[in-house]
Amino acid sequence: MRGWGWHAITLWTLLVYGFMFLPVGVVVLLSFNASQFGSFPMTGLSGRWFVELWNNDAIMRAFRTSLILGLLTAVISTTLGVLASLALVRYRVPGRNLISTLLIAPILVPEVVLAVALLLFLNFLGLPKSFPLLLAGHVIFTLPFVVLVVQARLVSIKRDVEEAALSLGASPVQTFFEVTLPLMMPAVAAGALFAFTISFDDITGTLFWKPGGVETVPTQIFSMLRNSISPEINALGTVMIVFTVGLPLLGAAVARRLAQRGGG
Amino acid sequence: MSVEAREARQPWILLSPALTALVLLLFVPLLFIVVYSFWLRSAAGADQAGFYLDNWREALGDAFYRDILLGTLRIAAITTLVCALMGYPAAYFIARSKGNKVLLLLLLMLPFWISYIIRTMSWINILGTSGALNSVLLSLGIVSEPLRMLYNETTVILGLVHFLLPFMVLNVYVSLDGIDTNLEDAANSLGATRWQAFTQVTLPLSLPGLAAGGLLCFVLGAGTYITPLVLGGPRDAMFANLVYEAIITQLNWPLGSALSLMLLAVLGVLVAIYNRYLGMAQLAKGLG
Amino acid sequence: MTKRIDDTTRYQRLLDRYREGDLDRRSFLGLIGAAGMAYGMQTPFAKYASAQSVGQVRFDGWGGVVSEAFREHAFAPFTSKTGTEVVDGTFSGGDEYLAQVRASQPGEYNIAHLSGVFDYARYANFDLTTALNLDNIPNMELVMTRLVEPYRAITPDALSAVPYDYGTTGLAYNRKYISDEEMREKGASILIDEAYKDRIGGWSDWRTRVWYGALQTGQDPNNIEDMDAVWDAIRAHRDLALKYWGSGAELMSLLAEEEIYVTEGWSGRIAALQEQGHDIGYYDPPNGFGWQECLFVIKGSPVAACEELLNFMLAPETSIAVAEGQNYPPALDATKVDLGAKIPTLPAFDATGTLSGLTFADPAYWNGNEADWSKTFSRVQRGY
Repeated sequence: MRGWGWHAITLWTLLVYGFMFLPVGVVVLLSFNASQFGSFPMTGLSGRWFVELWNNDAIMRAFRTSLILGLLTAVISTTLGVLASLALVRYRVPGRNLISTLLIAPILVPEVVLAVALLLFLNFLGLPKSFPLLLAGHVIFTLPFVVLVVQARLVSIKRDVEEAALSLGASPVQTFFEVTLPLMMPAVAAGALFAFTISFDDITGTLFWKPGGVETVPTQIFSMLRNSISPEINALGTVMIVFTVGLPLLGAAVARRLAQRGGG
Repeated sequence: MSVEAREARQPWILLSPALTALVLLLFVPLLFIVVYSFWLRSAAGADQAGFYLDNWREALGDAFYRDILLGTLRIAAITTLVCALMGYPAAYFIARSKGNKVLLLLLLMLPFWISYIIRTMSWINILGTSGALNSVLLSLGIVSEPLRMLYNETTVILGLVHFLLPFMVLNVYVSLDGIDTNLEDAANSLGATRWQAFTQVTLPLSLPGLAAGGLLCFVLGAGTYITPLVLGGPRDAMFANLVYEAIITQLNWPLGSALSLMLLAVLGVLVAIYNRYLGMAQLAKGLG
Repeated sequence: MTKRIDDTTRYQRLLDRYREGDLDRRSFLGLIGAAGMAYGMQTPFAKYASAQSVGQVRFDGWGGVVSEAFREHAFAPFTSKTGTEVVDGTFSGGDEYLAQVRASQPGEYNIAHLSGVFDYARYANFDLTTALNLDNIPNMELVMTRLVEPYRAITPDALSAVPYDYGTTGLAYNRKYISDEEMREKGASILIDEAYKDRIGGWSDWRTRVWYGALQTGQDPNNIEDMDAVWDAIRAHRDLALKYWGSGAELMSLLAEEEIYVTEGWSGRIAALQEQGHDIGYYDPPNGFGWQECLFVIKGSPVAACEELLNFMLAPETSIAVAEGQNYPPALDATKVDLGAKIPTLPAFDATGTLSGLTFADPAYWNGNEADWSKTFSRVQRGY
């Protein structure tokens, strides 16, 4: 049985989630607001921002670019990060502390400096800006997130399990894919989630590295700042939230329904 | 090839992609910044190449930069502490709950789907004089006049906590999730109270995650510049704001380079300390 | 000369057809849509060579309504006429854009929508100018000469930009709390009036802070004699202000949501607030801050293509559409062009074609003090 301590933790967690959702709630509310500015109490409801969003090619294009960029970043960054973490936790590497520090370095440099530095280097090489460069930039500053979270998990996975697999005749590669990887899956997923969200949300680096004609959602929003950010952006947030929360919830509900029917 | 040689070579194969990327995309470009920090900004036109110590003298000798750097570290530390206090119990809840953990974690990342700038600016709609909170307080008759809550250091920290909390929770969760719950039960059955079982078994085992989350929060908090711009008053600034202003507004790349290397050095020392005393190697030893 | 007439007449014909609806609107729009989709699909993977390559001009400007207006009224007809594609980029501010241009290769960036005289002078300092042949931009004849003069003063031999729009940074105030009479009586000093402590806002831009500091101390902003008094005024404002805003979006929400009652404001943004029914007044004090924006052609660009595109962008249709989108009047002379119904109602609008009512910053004076003042302001802002 769980005591009052668990209840306190539950309440606390609810408060934390409430805090995290405050801005989300406001954005979702305002996406239905009839007027452009968010004074409360609201004066009227309207769905016009969703209609305008649907008709706004520029935002939809930026959204697609952001998604593709985020997914590619997540895949590449997670792969590099997992490999590096394995090396650092599972092997005796000379200078391990130094390498660990270096792997975290990309988030120690103010982003604007990293942005300018990379451009100067590119210029020195005589290369034009390109989508692969933008991707590479995103990979570099999402790498530390992956490395940190994967290492933390790897440390707590006992070597015994892997050694058992090895002693039973599994190859190192087999051991990795059949024993280690499943055990560290939560961290890999968390790392990938980090990489995706950081990339999806990045502004400073993207502003500097994007080639002509490429806009992400954040750069699109930034360029609107001078005149005014259209509430269409709120509508886009609402649509994304409905997709990311609504679909898993719906899936779970359908699964439960099917299970009940099967059981009955 | 001997087993030892293979054993020695393998980690480098695993590390090489990440290290190559780092060298090409971070360290070589940073060399340009190092070089730039010794140049001089000329009043108009191109910067003057050469070896001048002026920027470094200014960055290191001026109380202005030192004070703001210390202020930045203080804000980052408070933010990290608040994140840990708020985030640890939440991560514990997720790790031990019987519900859908993936969904709970996804929900936590939800605010990221709304662009950072929109998210940060939405605090104005929440805490402003005509914001949601004041609107509720007024209609309930708790206050007779809207409260002034915005545009000070507290709101800057609030914005940072909101931004960084998910990193803390996810890192702690990942660590907690790997701990065998039987250990706690075993401690209980041996006569320990729940609290003792937690502080003596679970908490130490989850330290890697807490440390990783804390490091992330601190470093990201110290490097932020948009949050103070949006949620701070006229005076509120963090060190990255000065770097941004030097490079972008004042077009003083040499000074901006020196300032950013200074921040890099301070944070780098902190990370090195972390790796030495709290880092993976240490913790792995402790657990082993 | 023949080329020019040829170009102009072809352009004229196209516009005529478009106006009379002869140019099949649906297929025209369908074509743009299809091009947009194809563009969107391939965008993430396209490797853009530097815009120098044949058949492509890069334009950078503000996003949202402004880029929509440009795309519809200038880029689409330009591309369908010349076959040259316009690669359309956005930025979030002139300072950040200059940093990008400095770290780029010649020819990578072509045309940019920049702050008039300040940026023009800065780009000239960094040796980033080109020489435009105005014969190839016939629509320049419609532009007010007063706007061109400052550029000629910086680059006497040839222009590197065309003026595009103008506005003022005047005083915006909530009329629920501040009457028009009080505003006129106090002028710029209302921003350092103790009575409105924590209800005051201001732009975080050092130029604006110094300019208003000069007005508050009764000095000529283009010839400040007592700089210490100006810094003191800036300190007083800093301590009374609730917030320095950094963008038009922030300015508008601070005023609309009554976080602040009075601030400097950009004329176009205040006009947009008034349009939406907010009771916000706008007042340009004597010597109020006038400014202009230009379309600047950066060194290394394909000049002939840029000149032709500039002509499309200056055309009355485009100018008016952009102006109505962003609420800043176009650079076109109202005595030569019919600017429609809305533009004459915009704040800062000048019907005489002379702009004699506005005070502009003297670029030589201001850029000469830039290094010193921008750095000092950074300290003053933080309480030093």
